[in-house]
Amino acid sequence: MSTPETTPTTAPGTTPDAAATPAARRPRPLTTRYLMTCGAIGAATGVLLIPVNLVAFGALAAAPTLVAALVGFWLVGGVIALALLQRPGAALITSVISGIFAIPTPAGLTAVLTMAMVGVALELGFAVTLYRVWSPWLFYVSTAVIAAVYLTMVFPAYEMGSASTLAQVMFVLTLFVSMVGAAWLGLLLARRLAATGVTRGLAPVRRPAATTATTTTAP
Amino acid sequence: MTGFLRGVNPLAKMFGPLPVMAAVFLTEDLRVLAAFTLGTLVLLLVGALPGWRTSLALVLGVPVGVAVVAVSFGLWVDPAAVADTRTVLAFGPVELTRGGLAVGLVTGLRLAALVLLAMVSGLTTTGPEFVRASVQHLRVPYRVGYAALASMRFVPRFGRELEVIRSAHRVRGVAGGRGPVAGARRAGGYAVPLLASGIRHAERVSLSMESRAFGAAPTRTERHPVPLRVRDGVVLLAFWSACWAVPALVHG
Repeated sequence: MSTPETTPTTAPGTTPDAAATPAARRPRPLTTRYLMTCGAIGAATGVLLIPVNLVAFGALAAAPTLVAALVGFWLVGGVIALALLQRPGAALITSVISGIFAIPTPAGLTAVLTMAMVGVALELGFAVTLYRVWSPWLFYVSTAVIAAVYLTMVFPAYEMGSASTLAQVMFVLTLFVSMVGAAWLGLLLARRLAATGVTRGLAPVRRPAATTATTTTAP
Repeated sequence: MTGFLRGVNPLAKMFGPLPVMAAVFLTEDLRVLAAFTLGTLVLLLVGALPGWRTSLALVLGVPVGVAVVAVSFGLWVDPAAVADTRTVLAFGPVELTRGGLAVGLVTGLRLAALVLLAMVSGLTTTGPEFVRASVQHLRVPYRVGYAALASMRFVPRFGRELEVIRSAHRVRGVAGGRGPVAGARRAGGYAVPLLASGIRHAERVSLSMESRAFGAAPTRTERHPVPLRVRDGVVLLAFWSACWAVPALVHG
């Protein structure tokens, strides 16, 4: 798809050889191809969010642990985009777009806000490392931290403080497995997608990519 | 079919209920929560005018949902944490105490109020409306907004593409077999081809958008203006004032 003839039209700053020309000194960060790729991932994961949100709101009544099991679906899109494109903002844009798809659920417009928060949370770990580290461990650490922060938010909402110890332990465990599992699934899908070559010319190749080899750790 | 909430700017419907949600989240008062739940339910039925089916589901579903939460959370509650341990119902060894039921009822009403408040926008707003409003009023770059709008058109395409991938897999005998495990493996096999075809399509769409000079100018004209009117401000302020008005009214 991404032949050299097409790259000047789509992304003036993204090809390695174009970086030498003065026009590409300031690469446009939000190329249309990048935005639409985020849009495609966001659409695919956002469509999944509709049944997930419906089930979650139905289960809210009887089984908060089931809701905890489903929260991983919120993270998958952002993880795929970030691991695949390795660019600042990929998780935020993808998550917000997938949140827009979830508006016609009981979550309404709060779905967009939730997903924006998820996107920012996913970006934070990579922003702190100045978008230089793309190793899988950072994805796992990020999602574990997100799970911990989310836990402090939903624990009072579900009155979990007054629940029995067994219920508390099950809830916490399910939440962590769901979120870290989402990171694993997102990384796996990103790796397989990178292998298909659809993001050639879009994702940077100079960095040791989380998408190409799991064993690579240091640059 | 057209309740007055449908004409309200999506941003008012987004930021209006937010402080109310915070108030619902923070309050422990059973009567205040009940008032919020009932008030939002009435607002939804009057303001959104959903079809009779949705209305019926709301009117019947809210009490049922609250009751289910009250009982299930009441059962989960640690008996040591509640003061009133008189038994209301007993399911074999598990006993539903009066204190547990009270905790469950507060949780149920809180969840019901939160869901209903979220549905104020969920039932009356579409994705494109929200995107246009945030491009026009929240300074979201229009290129991002229109990428979101364009990706909404991807969904029907995903459906067709899924059929193609399914047929291709069947022809090649990928992950055959019966039962839920084989079914799950088959479904998992669709993820990568579906995403890959979506990303390929995204590249083609972006080329065709740019060949039509998308993103060439810093601003753009709008086909569908989403204005901020006086009534949007009224709705916003009405929601915000409800945070104080409802508890004040309940407590007399």
